[in-house]
Amino acid sequence: MPDLLTASGVVIKRGRNTVLNGFDFNLKGGEVVVLAGENGCGKSTVIEACAGLIDLEEGSIKTGKQIIRDSEGRHGRPDSPFGLCLQSDCVMGDELVKERIDDVAALCGKSFDSQSLLNQWDLGHRSQDRIASLSKGQRRKVAVLCGVLPSAIADDPTVILLDEPDAGLDEASVSRLSGLVRDIADGGHGILIASHNSEIIACADRVITFDDSIVETAPSDGVKWKINSEPVKKSNIGNRLDRRTLGSLSQNIIPGMLVIGALLALSDPTQFDSKMQIGAILAPALAAGLCGEPISARLTESRSGDWWRSMKTIPPNALLHVLVGCALLTTLACTLFGEPDYTLIAVGGGLGMITASVILVIHQATLRLQRPNALMIRLLTPALILPWAILVDRLA
Amino acid sequence: MGNSCRQIGIVLPLGGIMRDLGTLLIMSGFAGAGLTLWLGLAWAPSVSIDAFEAPISQKIFYWHVPSAWAAMIAFTLLFIGSLAWFIKRKEWGWNLHVASSEASLAFGLMAVWSGCIWGAAEWGVPWDWTDIRLNTFALLTLLAIFLVLGRKSQPDGIETRDTFATFGIYGFVLVPITYLATRFWQIRHPGPVVATSEGSLNSDMGMVLALGAISFTMLVIGHTICGIRLTKMESRLIEIQDIMDKEGI
Repeated sequence: MPDLLTASGVVIKRGRNTVLNGFDFNLKGGEVVVLAGENGCGKSTVIEACAGLIDLEEGSIKTGKQIIRDSEGRHGRPDSPFGLCLQSDCVMGDELVKERIDDVAALCGKSFDSQSLLNQWDLGHRSQDRIASLSKGQRRKVAVLCGVLPSAIADDPTVILLDEPDAGLDEASVSRLSGLVRDIADGGHGILIASHNSEIIACADRVITFDDSIVETAPSDGVKWKINSEPVKKSNIGNRLDRRTLGSLSQNIIPGMLVIGALLALSDPTQFDSKMQIGAILAPALAAGLCGEPISARLTESRSGDWWRSMKTIPPNALLHVLVGCALLTTLACTLFGEPDYTLIAVGGGLGMITASVILVIHQATLRLQRPNALMIRLLTPALILPWAILVDRLA
Repeated sequence: MGNSCRQIGIVLPLGGIMRDLGTLLIMSGFAGAGLTLWLGLAWAPSVSIDAFEAPISQKIFYWHVPSAWAAMIAFTLLFIGSLAWFIKRKEWGWNLHVASSEASLAFGLMAVWSGCIWGAAEWGVPWDWTDIRLNTFALLTLLAIFLVLGRKSQPDGIETRDTFATFGIYGFVLVPITYLATRFWQIRHPGPVVATSEGSLNSDMGMVLALGAISFTMLVIGHTICGIRLTKMESRLIEIQDIMDKEGI
């Protein structure tokens, strides 16, 4: 079997410590490798590095000839979709159980009968519930299913990365998982698991213990796991989530409305000169945009954003809703402070969306920090007032 | 990360010289800045009353221009330090990043506040949101605040250093924009009066301004040298704490 995943001379630093120093590793198709060892030895770091989530100081990680990440800063997407389950569940509480499974399948370009899979894992009765309403063990099952699903629907051998998938699962579920792991390997897929669980370790072909020892084992064979699936187009998850949570309404539209209210309370629109009038018309859209994109905050929930980042796809966002919301706010402001003007409405919508996009990019740039929430990102937002002021000046 | 304790003996003599140089530059810079202020207020000629709305407030120019100049030097040092850390992983690069971000903040705030005071007197408003020079310079100062406060909110580590170095590198894009703003998009901020064919600076005024620029340059370099030394000492302290933690003292 060919190598599906190769790590060469990987050096990783986290905080002030060197966690991995010259780590070499390869994963073949049809192979189950378990990373075992005491806490802090670097198991999760290996999984996250293989998912392309961690910058490498030295070395490279590849799937086939495709670089996942290397020390030169290059990163790419694997040729075929891969499965990932981190220690955190990587799911947003507002996602529905079935919807989440379907979205993972859609990322692989497939659709399938997810209800029957959920029934097999005793989650069928919760398929239309929000993930936030599930117990910890049920949430873990959803996360594990999302991690292993690509192996059941992908056409080519794929890599499955599971970080302590057994944590929070009951004994029956762990047994089912260990059986499933062998079935996945039988389909020619490669599985890398970090775990302390003896049942999981027993189903490994190789166990890496981080004390320079590699234990070769001879586990029993499985039965190839394959689910019938159909090609499907990706849908916009962010807009769907936003419709359910009304995030853009509460986070963007309401602050914009408050700006309109404050302008009406503190000034007389009939006394506005043309510059002041256009400023007042575009101010609500600017305020709405400055409040940021509504789904990005939800992506910090149980490292959901990291999961999307590892998939090398655009994370769910509701920028389209922000665009529409800001256009509506500008229409209202036009009506109150002047006359409806299609150009101004389009400018207002675009201004709000671009402003929210910039906030989103700044937010994404700080996610690697250990305490991103402690950062005063808003200090950089005045950068967005200048384009608004110039726009107002030019339009006036 | 940082100098190991074994290197302390080597670093200290050089550190001592740098400390003395840093202190000397700061003291000389302060003296020069004080002299600049006195000369600017008491000796330098006033501008024509026809040329300005508030001619007397123009005197703040002797403080505003040198502090903006010093801030630009600090932002350049910040860029060099950020680049040295991000690309070469040089410890001195990070120390320079830390020290120069603090210097950028100090001198950036001086320039912004003195500019606002002059703007309020001359234009009738302290700020113009459509002026490129004002806004890009304010953004650089806000970036410096972000770097200084943000760094204090994070534990030191490779992720923290990489993230802030990235902001330091990208933020430098604003420096040439700020410099060229009054040449290409002059809106409200006055255009250049030094090193330009259109400049109309009186020679006495130019002399005081030059003294201010030299003094503030000494101040910013001294500030940076002392800041680097302080950052090194902080790193050394953390290393000693780590050793004490490991040895269970």
